[in-house]
Amino acid sequence: MENTKTLQFEKPSFFTRLRGMLGVDFYRLFHTPLFYIFIVIAALIPALVSMGAMGDGETAGMFTNAWQIIAADSPLYVISNMGEYANMDMVFIFGGIMVSIFIGHDYRSGYVKQLFTTHAKKEDYMLSKTLVSAFSMVCMCVTYLIGGTIAGAATGLPFAINGGSLLCAILGKMIMSLGWASLYTFINVIFRRKFGISIALCFVLGTGIPVIGAAALVGNTAALNIFLYGSSVYACLSANFLTVLVCLACSVVWAAIYNVLGSVILYRRDVY
Amino acid sequence: MNAIEIRNLTKTFGEKRAVDGLNMTVPQGAIYGFIGENGSGKSTTEKLICGLIQPSGGEIKLWGKDHKDQNVRSQIGVLIEAPGCFPNYTVWNNMKLQAANLGLKNENEEIRRVLHLVRMDGAASNKFKNCSLGMKQRIGIAFALLGNPALLVLDEPINGLDADGMRIMREILTDLSRRGTTVLISSHILGELEKIATHYGIIRGGKMLCEMTAEELNADCPTYVALKADDVNARIVLERAFERVEYDQEHGELRVYGNNRAEEIADFLYKQHGIAVTEIRTAKINLEEYYIDLMREGR
Repeated sequence: MENTKTLQFEKPSFFTRLRGMLGVDFYRLFHTPLFYIFIVIAALIPALVSMGAMGDGETAGMFTNAWQIIAADSPLYVISNMGEYANMDMVFIFGGIMVSIFIGHDYRSGYVKQLFTTHAKKEDYMLSKTLVSAFSMVCMCVTYLIGGTIAGAATGLPFAINGGSLLCAILGKMIMSLGWASLYTFINVIFRRKFGISIALCFVLGTGIPVIGAAALVGNTAALNIFLYGSSVYACLSANFLTVLVCLACSVVWAAIYNVLGSVILYRRDVY
Repeated sequence: MNAIEIRNLTKTFGEKRAVDGLNMTVPQGAIYGFIGENGSGKSTTEKLICGLIQPSGGEIKLWGKDHKDQNVRSQIGVLIEAPGCFPNYTVWNNMKLQAANLGLKNENEEIRRVLHLVRMDGAASNKFKNCSLGMKQRIGIAFALLGNPALLVLDEPINGLDADGMRIMREILTDLSRRGTTVLISSHILGELEKIATHYGIIRGGKMLCEMTAEELNADCPTYVALKADDVNARIVLERAFERVEYDQEHGELRVYGNNRAEEIADFLYKQHGIAVTEIRTAKINLEEYYIDLMREGR
């Protein structure tokens, strides 16, 4: 036996590791039909919402302004009608389903087994999944915006709005994608191959039911902005620069918390 | 230097102890045949070494460093169960993804190299889901070889391979070992393992029953005289005269264990009992027989 192998323990930098992992995740995202299906779904949601608003049923007249398809007039955590609920926040419901299927496939295919036997760090995995999932939800927000604008025009409702507030609302909701993505990634790391449970849980949390329930008890209070759903609702048509900062703070803090917790779980539990 | 050193390793799943105080030493450059029955803890041990599952106790050192050290991981190639590939991607794209995770520089060149090694050059553009079991196994080996790792952990890599695949596998592993790569390989196909392994570890019930080099195994394997006689009383006669006599159903021959000479036994049967021997030869038990004996003794 010659035993001539020279051992070189490489220490790839954080950016090298993350670049590799992001490259893989973005490649996967752009090569999965799932992403495009959800992008189209996001564009169709406002059309369905506006059709309901134009009908003669209970939902008739729920919008008075075309931009209400994008965001509610004011931050109402207690929902009294569908018009206050049916807006861009619905992207986060469908986003959760998409993220669950996307991450669940990592476990189902055994990809994580290949990944975690390399020098990949668990925190890199969490961060990469969060960023890619956030990106996909931002894309869904964009197509929702396009679909919403077209649907708004179709309803014949007025488009009169404070442009700055509208921009802050849209920006705020897009920023919230990061926080939601980290929550969904965290849930999927907990349930791993049981991604049916992940989908169900992401759906429930994405609807904001826990926060809506809390709001029913404590009323419309700004304290609810500490939650992802609270800040998402806070990004409304009366938003300003402060709203964007609140969304940014909420999203980043929760993303950090869920990333740390997810990494701890990945380090402590059996991966595959 | 030892590539793998495991001390008192334990892994429990609920109430079940899958690995129970296991000790293991794999020298650098060895081809270590890891043998055991189904459910004996081989795959669990391999997953523990690769960091896929967390130990309940004990320690694992790779080249003297903690196995959780991410930098050490850059030197490990793994095939555990099936390769973790996306079924709808081509073989090439799956390998590109793994090359990106490994941070390989000349990734295209490297992928071509490993695919050529396992004779899968032509399958690069096939979707992974369309590959046969044998092809998937070869691709899994190519995955493990990406980046030229210093340690290969292979769980049942020969399963599903045809004769040519097994030969290629033997050549690759022997060549890698010659260059100093350490190979930890578990397999139930002991005949194949025997052709390449330089060291062995036999595990049972999560415990290491014994570890030995190929030379030690060879010295430990008893010799026997195998014979065929045309008299049914031959077995009774031999059993009275010799300590260990067994009938090998597969070959239809009697085996007399011990350091006896074939001529002496033939003479003994013919001259003292009038039994003519039709075939006789001296042989040594192989790894499979040694292993079966060991398992039988354990029971």
